[in-house]
Amino acid sequence: MSEGPNLGSLLAEHWYLARKLRSLEIHFSPERCKGLWQCYEVCPVGCWMPDYDVRCVVFQHGELCIACGACVLQCPEKAIELR
Amino acid sequence: MATVFMKWLERRPADYDRGIRLLTLGRLEAMQHLIVEELIQEGTRVLEVGCGTGTLTVAMAKAGANVSAIDISPGMLAEASKRIKRKEVEEHVDLQRMDAVMVDELFEPQSFDLIVSSLALSEMSERGRRYLLKAARKLLTPDGKLAVLDEVRPTSGGPRLLFTIVRAPLQLLTWLLTRTTTHPLADFEGVLSISGFDWDLLSAELAGSLRLYLAIPVDLDESDLKPEMFRGRLTGERTLRTVLIDLWASLFRILPPYPQVKPGVYAVGDPGRDSPLLVTGNFELTVRRLVRAIEGELEAWILVVDSGGINVWCAAGGGFLTADKIIGALHISGLSEVLEHHALILPQLCANGVEGWRIREQTGWGVHWGPARAVDIPDYLARGRKKTDDMRWVTFPLCDRLEMTAVTLGFYALLILIPIAIFWRSMFWPILIALAALSAFYAVTLPWLPGRDGLAKSLPLALIAFAGMLVYSTIWDPASIDVLFARALGVTGLSVFIAAELQGMSPLMRGEQANWGWEAVIGGILGLIYWLVPSILGWR
Repeated sequence: MSEGPNLGSLLAEHWYLARKLRSLEIHFSPERCKGLWQCYEVCPVGCWMPDYDVRCVVFQHGELCIACGACVLQCPEKAIELR
Repeated sequence: MATVFMKWLERRPADYDRGIRLLTLGRLEAMQHLIVEELIQEGTRVLEVGCGTGTLTVAMAKAGANVSAIDISPGMLAEASKRIKRKEVEEHVDLQRMDAVMVDELFEPQSFDLIVSSLALSEMSERGRRYLLKAARKLLTPDGKLAVLDEVRPTSGGPRLLFTIVRAPLQLLTWLLTRTTTHPLADFEGVLSISGFDWDLLSAELAGSLRLYLAIPVDLDESDLKPEMFRGRLTGERTLRTVLIDLWASLFRILPPYPQVKPGVYAVGDPGRDSPLLVTGNFELTVRRLVRAIEGELEAWILVVDSGGINVWCAAGGGFLTADKIIGALHISGLSEVLEHHALILPQLCANGVEGWRIREQTGWGVHWGPARAVDIPDYLARGRKKTDDMRWVTFPLCDRLEMTAVTLGFYALLILIPIAIFWRSMFWPILIALAALSAFYAVTLPWLPGRDGLAKSLPLALIAFAGMLVYSTIWDPASIDVLFARALGVTGLSVFIAAELQGMSPLMRGEQANWGWEAVIGGILGLIYWLVPSILGWR
């Protein structure tokens, strides 16, 4: 049990994760985007908007991002990063 | 919902090992040792189902076996891979990530002398287990064997009660420390027999609850082994049971055990071969809401995937609902032969953990992201699987805020009110009422309170509560200055606590949960004021 996690380490871990989540930012490489719009399909808060003219997306409302990572995961072109 | 909570739920492999050691009081290792001693020779071809962090994998490889090890968790596999490198047995081990029910798809028939599973079958759904056992018969050579090491729940009443009572505190402790739980197998011997195996009990520990079975396939007509895949019809009917479960879930949703639906295929209405197929997790409330949203509007198939009894958003974020689980569930459902279309509709809110493109690639099924809320499903389907932005974007309307307030209250009432009921009984009702009233007020006024996050919003909330307290103390319950002082500190503390905590339940926040650090600081300062000021002013 001595090596096991204790309340202190659990709280520290929770704190660390929460701080990290807060600082994560979306980095988008438009040149990789093939206009599948999966990010737009799955974003629960409406950060991504489709650009119908050039079949690409625009990261329009970054201030709404909750860093859930859905767009990163769904992009088969790996055009989106969260770091 | 709380992003941090679900990240925290995510199992760390190291924690898992510790949790299992704790739960099995260290007996597991001895039994794994027995498997290696008795069943492994030079060149034995082994399939290990659910290798976890690879303890047994490495032991078997060291004893000369060639092991194909599979697990569904990327975290566990990464840990196993490290261990295998460290112990220099890479040449003898092939690691793959997959759901156990995919083994018949990905390995050749009769390619293993031994199939081993240690604490993995109990992690699977009952249907998945039956399917895996059936597949194991195909994968084993004619004189191949199956070794299952797992937790078993006693079947008879007395021992079963004892088992539950002894286990409960150990299970709670293990969950709190490591977020690891297990689900002991019920009537596993019966399942082995109907799945076409003759079995022997090789070893039993911990009053017979940890068992090692050695099973040999017997000749059986394959047609006897067809698992019936269809589980039945779901209705949104209200019964006493559903009302009680909803009530429990509306207060204590974040505490296990979570009310669950058995994974499998269900029907809503009277669906046919061209009816839509909706995927969801197995949290009972989720399934019920989905059914109530579509019942009477459309006929549909529902594929309930094991999400550990957690809602899809938190389950996907915490790694409980994954692409592999959906692929596995689809595979054993047999739906590809039944349905005319091959279109899966996934809940949009599992996109944070389920890679749609991987399901598409591996199964050939079309993957469609449904609306964020189940109530929009009929409309979404009527539009030909097209979403409007309103169906896509999550909001936090009043009914949800009140619901989340109840969830927060239920959990924190346990934390705060139980100590108060024990140590400060006279304050129990005032604090309970203040807590409930302030929470409800906060839930209603949330959008209009200035401030970006819950902590900032707690300032206006505290001011309003303070004003309310003054009015109350002037008109209804005139109080002396020291009582007023204590009440002021109390409402401030509660306001900060309530505002900062409810934000963790909002779907529109990120990382603000770290504000609990500030809550602690503010709470500490308030406590200090409570003790210091009266003695400085000579009130006590």
